[in-house]
Amino acid sequence: MKILLMGHPNVGKSVFFNRLTGANVTESNYPGTTVDYTKGWMKIDGKDVELVDVPGTFSLDPKDKAEEVAVAMLHENRGALVISVIDASKIERGLYLALEIIEEGYPLVIALNMRDVAEDKNILIDADKLERILDIPVVSTVAISGEGIKELVSRVKEAKPVDVDDIISNATKAADVGAAGDVP
Amino acid sequence: MKLSAEERWDLIDRISKETVTFGAYRHTLTDAIGELTIKPLTGIPIAIAVLYGFWSLFGSFAGTLCTDGFFVKFFDGYWLPWLQQVFPGQGNWFYVIMVDAGGIESGEFVLSESSFESFGVLTSGLFLAIGVVLPAIFIFYLMLAILEDIGYMPRLAVLIDTMLHRIGLHGYAIVPTILSLGCNVPGVAATRILETKKQRFIMMTLLAIFIPCGAQIGIMEEVVPDLIGWIMLYLIIGYFIFGYILNKIVPGRAPEFLIDVPPYRRPLARNIGKKIYGRVTGFFKVALPFVLLGCVIVGILYQMGVIQWLGGVLAPIFVGWFGVPPETAGPLVAAFLRKDLAVAQLSTIEMTEYQMITSVVLVSIYFPCVATFAMMLKEGWKDLLWALAVLAVVVFVYGGLIHLIGILLGVA
Amino acid sequence: MTEESLPSSPSIAGIYFALLGIATVASGLAELLLTASGSEFVYGILEIPGDIFRGGWGGFVVLSAGLLYLSGARNMVDIHQFAKVVMGSILIWIIAGCDIFAMIAESIPGGEDGPWLNTLSGFIETYAPPYSPAVLLLPFSLVVIYYVRKRVFLEGGGRNSS
Ligand SMILES: Nc1nc2c(ncn2[C@@H]2O[C@H](COP(=O)(O)OP(=O)(O)O)[C@@H](O)[C@H]2O)c(=O)[nH]1
Ligand SMILES: [Mg+2]
Repeated sequence: MKILLMGHPNVGKSVFFNRLTGANVTESNYPGTTVDYTKGWMKIDGKDVELVDVPGTFSLDPKDKAEEVAVAMLHENRGALVISVIDASKIERGLYLALEIIEEGYPLVIALNMRDVAEDKNILIDADKLERILDIPVVSTVAISGEGIKELVSRVKEAKPVDVDDIISNATKAADVGAAGDVP
Repeated sequence: MKLSAEERWDLIDRISKETVTFGAYRHTLTDAIGELTIKPLTGIPIAIAVLYGFWSLFGSFAGTLCTDGFFVKFFDGYWLPWLQQVFPGQGNWFYVIMVDAGGIESGEFVLSESSFESFGVLTSGLFLAIGVVLPAIFIFYLMLAILEDIGYMPRLAVLIDTMLHRIGLHGYAIVPTILSLGCNVPGVAATRILETKKQRFIMMTLLAIFIPCGAQIGIMEEVVPDLIGWIMLYLIIGYFIFGYILNKIVPGRAPEFLIDVPPYRRPLARNIGKKIYGRVTGFFKVALPFVLLGCVIVGILYQMGVIQWLGGVLAPIFVGWFGVPPETAGPLVAAFLRKDLAVAQLSTIEMTEYQMITSVVLVSIYFPCVATFAMMLKEGWKDLLWALAVLAVVVFVYGGLIHLIGILLGVA
Repeated sequence: MTEESLPSSPSIAGIYFALLGIATVASGLAELLLTASGSEFVYGILEIPGDIFRGGWGGFVVLSAGLLYLSGARNMVDIHQFAKVVMGSILIWIIAGCDIFAMIAESIPGGEDGPWLNTLSGFIETYAPPYSPAVLLLPFSLVVIYYVRKRVFLEGGGRNSS
């Protein structure tokens, strides 16, 4: 099995990669440090799994050479599972890429990273609800302190492809429930 | 099933309405400081302060403490005299290459006094590599890693953005440029974040030509400390002039680019340590062998008279067109292989300050070092050939221009 | 909005940083003027540098620090104003830090003909006065840390600043 770490630039993918594989990929606080992919090995339930630190990309329609590498990486690995790393303080932009990958039929897990930063900005995310709507595992993490990484790894096997139609109907249902809850 | 971009945003909108609550936005002190460092009125003085600090610590650590404080003493006081004694075959070609080229005074072979003059692989070569370059790149990468991890770099990029737009690059080009100040190799790799082929080509060419690497800066600090300001100034001006010209003549687009400015963060010692370790070991594995091999080749070519011969052939150009003394021809030719060695050689030649500035600038804009050359080759040989063509033109034109400026100022 | 429209009474902190700002601006100007005239000035424990790099470039930074203090000292409750004061101090720390690091770098080696390491007395002598204005201003600039802590503490309590 192969797992791809994907997400926007500067969301913490390399920190995850280093933590999970014990490798030494450069992590920097500016977008664009990872311009090529790096492979490493990690263990899930005692099995060796290949993990790839993919360069950051904003969408699946590449704008520069580093993004081309990222998109090509995804398309060359049809059978791969994707950990979509999202900056929780910029969740909407992150979801865009995640949805694109879901639409292409890849099984996905979402790591809502930088929970600490989001908290500082007073942004609260209901991860459970998000999980119910998307129907895939969503784990809040703080990569630099390691918070949530164990849970993320343990839930990787729950990843599965989903149909966007289901997501749309889930979102509609959630909205109805929410509206019903608001009216006493 | 696939959605259109619009449908996707619409869906995201609905999802986030259900799951995300935005509390009152609090302006933290870090945010406010972040804004100060980006607004030009306050940001430019701050950038000037940061560069000052960078430069000052660089000089104190690499120059005063390491090189002058310990390495010069070790190499000149112990290592060189010891090797001069114990190495067999004083004066023969092998001795000359490995230890000391010395000099001929009134028909006799005399030993050199310092590791700057001996030009042996084991003396000058090791001294420059370990005693000068290593402390320079260590402190450079340490400070760079701290600035990177704090998150200052993208802000600097935004500040410089307008200037770089003039030369067809967006603010992000400052990242490859600054990385190149440490070593051109990661700089070339970092050009991949630029969007179009045109931008990458311009950036790569400018880097290879105008950005001196940490090794070179360290050596300039050591041998021509009073002139380094002028040399850097000429290089920066050249970077912008030729960037502007290249932007006009290279076909292609140079689109806008939105920079994502991350918040300031506290740097992690572990991460910084890791970066330094990686880069310093990289230096030992990649750069050091090149430095020593370069010294060997330069030594052999000198022994065979190739460099003297080439120097003789090219001397009229150097003297007439660039306005530097004929003795510089040798080092200027040798600079194709080893810039650091060439700068050290130049520093021992008698010439005016302006000639020194000119010749060191020439050495800097010369051919990229072998490692950079290999990296550029990896990015595509066509671009490399074009870059070399540009390089040849630039050396010729800019060298002449500097001479002309000197004549107009009455100093050359 | 409300903060700005209220006539802000000058706080102790405001007066303090305004005075520090004046002293800093004066230091920066002195360094720039001396550099322009190409001389150096030593008086008591004060030594104003006059070389291009330290006096010119560094002097400009000191001057900027002073201007940041002066412009930030008014109405410091506003986070943007306060940030200027903090930034002014950071600039002083950069310059003073570099001056001090230069002394450290000089104090350790034993000199060209001396032993490897400096003698103890030589080591200590390097740190004797005179000092640059930035180093003398350093202790006064540290006061800002107190206000940063106080502010963080207050912000942690009530979540409703600007
Ligand atoms: N505060 C905070 N910072 C993080 C977190 N994860 C990563 N970072 C920082 O974000 C920056 C970018 O991380 P990096 O792994 O290089 O991002 P990549 O471009 O996605 O590979 C680095 O400075 C990290 O230290 C997190 O959960 N919280
Ligand atoms: Mg990365």
